[in-house]
Amino acid sequence: MNEVMIIVRKELREMFRDKRVRFNAFVMPLFLILMMVQLFGFVMKAAVGGTKSTVYFVDSTGGVGESLNKSAISGAVTKGGLGIKTVSSIDEGIKLIQQEKAKLVLALMPPTTDGQVRVEAYYDPKQQMGNLALSGVEQALAKANKEALVETLKEKSIPESAAERIKIIPKEVKVGQAGAGAMIVSLLPYMIVLFAFSGGMSMAADLVSGEKDKNTLETLLITPVERTHIVLGKFLSLAGVCFLSSVSCLAGMALASAIKLPGSELMFKDGFGVTPIAALTIIIVLLPLVAFFASVLIAISSYAKNPREAQTYLAIVNFIVIMPAVFSQVIGLTDLGTKLWINCVPVLNTANNIRAALLGKTDWLAVGITVGVSALLAAIAIIVAVKLFNREEVLVRV
Amino acid sequence: MMVRTHGLKKHFQDPKTGLKKAVDGIDIEAKPGRIFGLLGANGAGKTTILRMLSTVITPTSGTSEVAGFDIIKQPQEVRANIGFMSSSTALYGRLTSREVLEYFGRLYGLDEKRLKDRMKYVIDKLQIEEFADRLCDKLSTGQKQRVSIARTILHDPKVLFFDEPTAGLDVVTSQTVMEFIEEARDLGKTVVFSTHIMSEVERLCDDLAVIHDGVIVATGTPQTMREISGEQNLERAFLHLVKFQAGYVSARLGTV
Repeated sequence: MNEVMIIVRKELREMFRDKRVRFNAFVMPLFLILMMVQLFGFVMKAAVGGTKSTVYFVDSTGGVGESLNKSAISGAVTKGGLGIKTVSSIDEGIKLIQQEKAKLVLALMPPTTDGQVRVEAYYDPKQQMGNLALSGVEQALAKANKEALVETLKEKSIPESAAERIKIIPKEVKVGQAGAGAMIVSLLPYMIVLFAFSGGMSMAADLVSGEKDKNTLETLLITPVERTHIVLGKFLSLAGVCFLSSVSCLAGMALASAIKLPGSELMFKDGFGVTPIAALTIIIVLLPLVAFFASVLIAISSYAKNPREAQTYLAIVNFIVIMPAVFSQVIGLTDLGTKLWINCVPVLNTANNIRAALLGKTDWLAVGITVGVSALLAAIAIIVAVKLFNREEVLVRV
Repeated sequence: MMVRTHGLKKHFQDPKTGLKKAVDGIDIEAKPGRIFGLLGANGAGKTTILRMLSTVITPTSGTSEVAGFDIIKQPQEVRANIGFMSSSTALYGRLTSREVLEYFGRLYGLDEKRLKDRMKYVIDKLQIEEFADRLCDKLSTGQKQRVSIARTILHDPKVLFFDEPTAGLDVVTSQTVMEFIEEARDLGKTVVFSTHIMSEVERLCDDLAVIHDGVIVATGTPQTMREISGEQNLERAFLHLVKFQAGYVSARLGTV
């Protein structure tokens, strides 16, 4: 076993001296997480009205519009956190929307015979900002309408509850431990799983096919070390880098939370949210997954004739790995995440358990199944890698 | 006898050309304190023989003893007793010369004290000290070759295999390699040396096997080759032995 550790030490030393490895495995996940936190933070802020949209207003009453209505509407809109500007006609407002200079144009129409104030809202339904602005205006006006109704009821001595015969009172139920925010729950499992594979990709091709290409493999095979030990040494060093690359994502998220990155306030409004139990769960489900990925990477590198061929195969396999990881981002929109069988789906099972852990809902049976499935796959993949490495073709295939 | 082969064969299945008999039943013997040359053109089967002897590839049939161990039954023991070097043998570019030597010393199972002693010996002997802590990527070709030689002899093997060790090297570096091979012979090592360069054969080889298309066409000393072929010039003797026909190439090109 000592021979395995000699190889692990040498491989790690070489890897850490390689700029590509340092960048791809460690800097890249940190950088990406920080960038995504900022980006998603900005989007979240915009979605909840943090970014002030401007609404264009036009008086189309033909002179019969009451200034009271105008000011009531503009008051409600500005109270809802939206800016307001005026335009002279509906046509001009539509033109602004077509030129993408305006998201929403409100046109005050003549009142109906029963005195209802009508406002036409012009927007491009394909424009998300237009939809958001409309929804903001609707909320603001609904609030204003309700206040007006309550006022009227009060004048007529009717109880306020008559304005809302059935009232919904939301009550949050705490399930599991305190967890991370929704955006972290959606983003982090995907990133962790992704970097468990791609973090090791940059040096995987070098480990076997690269040694063959650089004429160092023959020297290594001529030592008295068993080939199986050589593969295990390379596998362990690669698994270590894959694991550290994944953990870099977690570290990046913790860093983003600690330095209070601008725009990330909503994402971290309840703090980082990764509890010790969640961190432990992540590590437990991640270890067999990186073992599986590392052995797949070594098997590919052993099979390929040269690093270029290895890179081609790796790009294809990377795509296959990304698919279930991507699905983990939207699994919360279905109830699949709670099904036990989902823990038998490779890669997705790990992402789903990380997601559950971040929500504070670690299910140890699910964790056990996931670990078992990943460990089984890792064992199969390492056997394949050893067999491929033991072939003569590992040296003589050109 | 330190190296003895018995009907050693290696056949490959080539998807394009079918069965390729890279080595087809060779019997050679190499003795301690002598240099055994494998002389043959490119593709004759020299590298395949050395790879079988160093247990990197398995013979299709036949076997061999190297340093008293069977290459099929005791491959690890064989590898522990051999040193292997070729001109294409490379070093790990992101490790220093010292780290490369330490790495291989440990893989060869040297304990810490012996490793330290042997490293000092090879570093002094091959004058590596001044660049021992420099990354191998930054070394000149000559310096890399010295480190390769140091790596080859670090564990003090009984048998040394050299596969065209001077191919592509400049005159000065080639000289270093050849001097080292002579020194190894003088130290009583068994040296098996493959080449297609006649001047190297003249200078180094005590015993010789001429290989052509995977079979041995003649064995003996360089002088025996001259006598068998009736040619005084070794190069002509070699061409005679491999039945090279003058004008063959030009005839194929249609210029004769």
